[in-house]
Amino acid sequence: MDFGLTDEQQLLLESLDELLERECPESYIAELDLNHQPPTTFRRAMNDAGFGSLGFPEEYGGTPSDALTLVMLAERVARQGLNNGYGLELLQAMDILEFGSEEQKTEILGLLANGDVPFALGFTEPGAGSDNSAMATTAVHHDGMVTFNGTKTLITNALQSRYLLLMAKDPQVEDPRKSISMYLVPMDAPGVTTNRLDKIVWHISDSCEIFLDDVTLPESSLVGVKGNGFKQLMRNFELERLVIAANCLGLAQCAFDDAATYAAQRVQFGKPIGSFQLIQLKLTDMAIKLENIRNFVYKTAWMVDQELPLKSQGALCKRYSAMAAFEVADEAMQIFGGVGVTVGTRVSRLWRDLRGHRFGGGTDEIMVHIAGRQIVKDHS
Amino acid sequence: MKIVVAYKWAPNPQDAEVAPDGSVDWSRAKGAVSEYDPVAFEAARQLADATGGEVVGLTVGAASVDSPLARKAALSRGLDRLVVVADDRLADADGTRLAAVLAAAVRSIGDVDLVLAGDSSVDVAEGQVPMTLAGQLGWLGMAAVSGVTPSADGVVVERDLPGGITTLALTGPAVLAVTTDAVVPRVPGMKDILGAAKKPVEVVPLDALEVPDVVAATTLSGSRPETGNRRGVIIDGADASSAAAELVAALRTARAL
Ligand SMILES: Cc1cc2nc3c(=O)[nH]c(=O)nc-3n(C[C@H](O)[C@H](O)[C@H](O)COP(=O)(O)OP(=O)(O)OC[C@H]3O[C@@H](n4cnc5c(N)ncnc54)[C@H](O)[C@@H]3O)c2cc1C
Repeated sequence: MDFGLTDEQQLLLESLDELLERECPESYIAELDLNHQPPTTFRRAMNDAGFGSLGFPEEYGGTPSDALTLVMLAERVARQGLNNGYGLELLQAMDILEFGSEEQKTEILGLLANGDVPFALGFTEPGAGSDNSAMATTAVHHDGMVTFNGTKTLITNALQSRYLLLMAKDPQVEDPRKSISMYLVPMDAPGVTTNRLDKIVWHISDSCEIFLDDVTLPESSLVGVKGNGFKQLMRNFELERLVIAANCLGLAQCAFDDAATYAAQRVQFGKPIGSFQLIQLKLTDMAIKLENIRNFVYKTAWMVDQELPLKSQGALCKRYSAMAAFEVADEAMQIFGGVGVTVGTRVSRLWRDLRGHRFGGGTDEIMVHIAGRQIVKDHS
Repeated sequence: MKIVVAYKWAPNPQDAEVAPDGSVDWSRAKGAVSEYDPVAFEAARQLADATGGEVVGLTVGAASVDSPLARKAALSRGLDRLVVVADDRLADADGTRLAAVLAAAVRSIGDVDLVLAGDSSVDVAEGQVPMTLAGQLGWLGMAAVSGVTPSADGVVVERDLPGGITTLALTGPAVLAVTTDAVVPRVPGMKDILGAAKKPVEVVPLDALEVPDVVAATTLSGSRPETGNRRGVIIDGADASSAAAELVAALRTARAL
């Protein structure tokens, strides 16, 4: 087993370090967070340097890459303190590359290349959260057109995106596994309205309710096969969980590094607080968690690269990473003492942003729901 | 136009450890293209692209300057090919000897129009090699070059000197050392890094070069730079205006104002 980096990975990470230093300093991130703005200039710089098309097939101007390398890059960007800074757009592109029409591919890859967020992912509804199959938004096909009605909620980046990748069902079909389809709906289509939700996490990404009132589009807005939406969505979820876990790893590492540095400097009772065993215990347990998350994330990525069936691996990895990473950030905040909850201290942002990852991509509990069933099935 | 980029494979400053007495321990530092050299790579690439020319990387040093990683790191920064002289007899070579070897290598490459180099190396920082190289070649040498652009019969060079900015036209071969902010070097992407493994590398044995002997100086003693007396003064910021007054007073006492 080789835990070393390849030359290519090492050079790529060094390149990324240069880019982050130049385009994504802490002052930039803090400002975006304060003003609730997306990291558009950083995304553009990433695209200009070729990171945006990493992992895409060559015929679409990309450079193929393994999942392990991508995960290391996502971790590195998050270690800078930037939440969801890299990786999720790639997944979106994968959805379209795998299931989209030529026209959809050209449109979405073009937006990505420009540093824009091509689409928000819309499956959650007021009445359908963890239980996606309960969704009520309808898509009725008629005369080469399709009409949508319904409400989506908690949709990330809706205001920044040109499109909504909408999950909606055919009201004529009972079985949710056959009734749901995927559509690419322009956010400025007549009948689409949004309501921004104020939230205490992820300030650089907006979250919205989206209302669809008789939104009518040509049938060419369908992505992939009619009735296969659920299956297509599940494909996306597996990799999404891995990217989320890598993002949690990087944010937690950032919080740990901040806390350890602070512990070495902050003097109370005449000594650096890092000399107290209670603080050392925290730092030690945090370091163990980080090591565990890293191994979990890297091994899961390696399984993807080996084309091994992930089964419940993605759910196990996402649950552990999101929870342990938040614990690391929480202890980091504790080490900072009261100053840790002030806005000027980075650890407060990391703590907030990590909390959000215990919902997005499926809650901690739903990961048990997925993995637990699989474990019992494997043993019966 | 054939442009050589003379660069150093130097220890990465991120891995250097600075002891409380100010001494720097490089022993655990991994190699990297010396911090200010990517500017020369970028300036050379831009010039070559504008003139349809070729960029040849050139590095000389101990055997360790030639590894697969070191080759890819340099070749991913816009070079067309690479020439390496790696020999442990150069392990502790001073700037003059390195410049002599570089000059011999430039002559062996042949038909070189321009040599670009960084301002100085990150570990030694003497800034002496490019101008010594120019002297060895018998070419025009210029430091503090803040811009190079092609012209009909050569290049136009901009220099940023204490007296102001000077613009000059060059026709003959020259060695130019570029300032750290002459251009913004591009960051190598995956395509560049993967492509680097496929570019040609020529390893030139030291013995194949005609290098004149250089008498080296003997170091008699060394001392650490004066870091001054550091003092930590903590000012209570509860009242902003009195804190500002205290800060000004403290800076006056320290003769910083
Ligand atoms: C920051 C953030 C970003 C998001 N981004 C998006 C997005 O871009 N697109 C999108 O469509 N959605 C998005 N969501 C929505 C997210 O997917 C849902 O919040 C999530 O699926 C849970 O649904 P819910 O909030 O309705 O909670 P519910 O499903 O109502 O769950 C409430 C509680 O019950 C638990 N629970 C539910 N079912 C079970 C069960 N079977 N067993 C045990 N416990 C259970 C849950 O774990 C939770 O603790 C985002 C959410 C957040 C917080």
